[in-house]
Amino acid sequence: MLFSSITFLYYFLPLTIAFYFLSPKRLKNMVLLLSSLIFYAWGEPKYVFLMASLIVLGYGFGRLVETYRGKKTGQVFCILSIMISLSFLVYFKYADFFITNFNAITGLGIPLLKVVLPIGISFYTFQMISYIVDIYRGEEAQKNIINMAAYIAMFPQLIAGPIVRYSDIAKQLEERKHSWDRAAEGIRRFVIGLAKKVLLANQLGELCNVFRGSDEKSVLFYWLYALAFGLHIYFDFSGYSDMAIGLGKIFGFQFLENFNYPYISASITEFWRRWHISLGSWFRDYVYIPLGGNRVKKGRQFFNILVVWMLTGFWHGAAWNFIVWGLFFAVLLMIEKVWLLKYLKESKIFSHLYVLFFAMISFIIFNAQDMGQAFSDIKGLFGIGGVPLVSAQALYYLYSFFVIIVVAMVGATPAIQNIIKKVSCKSVGEKILNRIEPFVLLVLLLVITAYLVDGSFNPFLYFRF
Amino acid sequence: MKKITCILFAVFLAAGFLLCVFLPKAQYSDSERRKLASMPTLQAQNIWSGRFMTDFETYAVDTFPFRTSFRTLKAVTANHVFFKRDNNGIYVSDGFISAVEYPLNEDSLNRAVKRFQYIYEKYLTKNNKVYLSVIPDKNCFLAKDSRHLSMDYKKFEQQMKQKMDFAQYISIAELLEKDDYYKTDTHWRQERIIDVAERLAQKMGTALSSDYKIHTLTQDFYGVYYGQAALPLEPDSLQYVTGDAIDTCYVYDGQNNKEITMYDMEKVAGRDPYEMFLSGSLSLVTLNNPKAQEDKKLILFRDSFGSSIAPLLISGYSQITLVDIRYIQPNYLAQFINFDNCDVLFLYSTLVLNNSETLK
Repeated sequence: MLFSSITFLYYFLPLTIAFYFLSPKRLKNMVLLLSSLIFYAWGEPKYVFLMASLIVLGYGFGRLVETYRGKKTGQVFCILSIMISLSFLVYFKYADFFITNFNAITGLGIPLLKVVLPIGISFYTFQMISYIVDIYRGEEAQKNIINMAAYIAMFPQLIAGPIVRYSDIAKQLEERKHSWDRAAEGIRRFVIGLAKKVLLANQLGELCNVFRGSDEKSVLFYWLYALAFGLHIYFDFSGYSDMAIGLGKIFGFQFLENFNYPYISASITEFWRRWHISLGSWFRDYVYIPLGGNRVKKGRQFFNILVVWMLTGFWHGAAWNFIVWGLFFAVLLMIEKVWLLKYLKESKIFSHLYVLFFAMISFIIFNAQDMGQAFSDIKGLFGIGGVPLVSAQALYYLYSFFVIIVVAMVGATPAIQNIIKKVSCKSVGEKILNRIEPFVLLVLLLVITAYLVDGSFNPFLYFRF
Repeated sequence: MKKITCILFAVFLAAGFLLCVFLPKAQYSDSERRKLASMPTLQAQNIWSGRFMTDFETYAVDTFPFRTSFRTLKAVTANHVFFKRDNNGIYVSDGFISAVEYPLNEDSLNRAVKRFQYIYEKYLTKNNKVYLSVIPDKNCFLAKDSRHLSMDYKKFEQQMKQKMDFAQYISIAELLEKDDYYKTDTHWRQERIIDVAERLAQKMGTALSSDYKIHTLTQDFYGVYYGQAALPLEPDSLQYVTGDAIDTCYVYDGQNNKEITMYDMEKVAGRDPYEMFLSGSLSLVTLNNPKAQEDKKLILFRDSFGSSIAPLLISGYSQITLVDIRYIQPNYLAQFINFDNCDVLFLYSTLVLNNSETLK
């Protein structure tokens, strides 16, 4: 089930909120767990058992790791649990990638498994690993399997993150506050996230689809696509994160931030401190630092960076372009570490343009079907290969999406947030903002609903008679 | 105020849920001219396969309370807040609603020509005079001024002419302008295409009677684009042409084997009032003109535009057979039509030719 769907908004969410707040405190996690299982089963009825098995295994291993912590056995259980979690991920997500490449190298014809990828498996596998490792490092294991299952399966962050670490919400699972203030904050965050997804990301995605289907590519169209996709992926992903964080707040949880205006970064290093923060910090804490992190020789450090970024790319998808995408950032980060960072600090304009340009190129690689298409799209940006400068279609869509792009560009910076902060500094401004906020949110919800309902607009093919 | 936000949100969700569950559901969408999804059957097998969930998603959106009003809100937001050039490929210019028909789809043209060539090779001989004419869609006359995407219509005509070299091409584009089309519908207005009918007749070697009367219906006509645009716009008025030949002609519906009227007034109050012209989407219709001065027959391969022009052509023929190969397989035609010595006209709009997957 998607947050940006009528089923979620008008069936699932009202029922879940009602049951949650009407149930006594001791049953709240149970309500959350059951609703999360329904949420997951709605899209993946068969795989709900896979997730349940992982949870039961994780729970058992968690208890074992805690019992034998500090001993060799504890380490064995920790490694075994990680291996089991990863084996599920490898089987469902990467098996066909490995078979395809093995076949290509050896000339063999091993048949592909063609298994359907369980939704959210990358997210909940990583949460499971963080749970086990945190216990190994000293965190107390969860004794109540309902609480443990609620942590792994919690629907707000189940399918698109953020990756919530057990150590961050262990206490909240047992004891959390519900207040009007926190719920109102959650509602605002959820509605804004939904608006980012439905009103901006979906429309920018539509523009990207038009570009992909067009036979009239031009340099202008390639740039328009690159810009639109860069904004689309940001609003899509950060919109989902906002919704997750907002829903978490409604249910009394405090999830960590996942995005912090990454496009205002002045270096790629800073960009990755602001983009998909939960994934970046997960790799830092569970891969990069255990590998030695920065406290090793330069050569080894660069090797660690390459490994982490190759894995980061691979985590996003089982295809070469994702690996190249990760390595692309690894190279940029190494160049920055060696010499570029100090020069970037000297020119604000250059540093921002540099980040925007390379982020855009990276997302072209990210969104390509394969590396061939990625190269062709990058060449198109520079008019290589006889691509015309402008086409009628490019101009039309530039005009048609102009306002959306401008709104998205402004929305990708903290400008609006800063204005709101300034206005609310004054007591009159704060009063006005507080008064209008509920109604602005209501209007946004109505417009979002209109876009979701219109998504079903599906003229009969024979309408021409 | 935080409390108000929470209460407002809770009331909004609760009201939305109750309306979704308890409000009676529409079963048909007039604007899209399609049946809306119905509640899927709750069976273990359906749930296990995920089919129930997928179908429920469609059902929930299709039957959402006040769906038409929400579609209007979306159209207004897209047009007046985001200033998008079109909404779902539909735009309004100078009071006319049109679809962005773009780009020229050569594969589709080839497919259409292949179907027409099949008919030519299977049924026609040197004794048949074969003609082709292409009706430009409304976008042809609106797009340039309103800066919307527009196909190269000259290239379109040229390509059809070249690909169908077995047919003599009759150009009608220069006789048409935007006012010859309904503001809210895809089709041309019958009362404004008399000159087009005369051009076709003249090029096909026949003459039409000039005895016409134009009648205006009192009902408002909301065309197919009206529903798609989902914007509050003025309706059209529907007019139709009568004349001696038209009035005395008898019409036979070969699909349902029954006699019908040239103008079906019951359809005026129906879902698509344009269906009043020769009763709408029928695969085979024959117009017989008992007052014809010579035994000249025309077989008209057509889309819906043909329904309103065929009555204007009947005074020049003893019989016109309209064939819509979107609803009948061309290989069955010999069972119903005698092609001997008939003139054959392929009269199609750019809308169908550019989206020819509907042709059988």
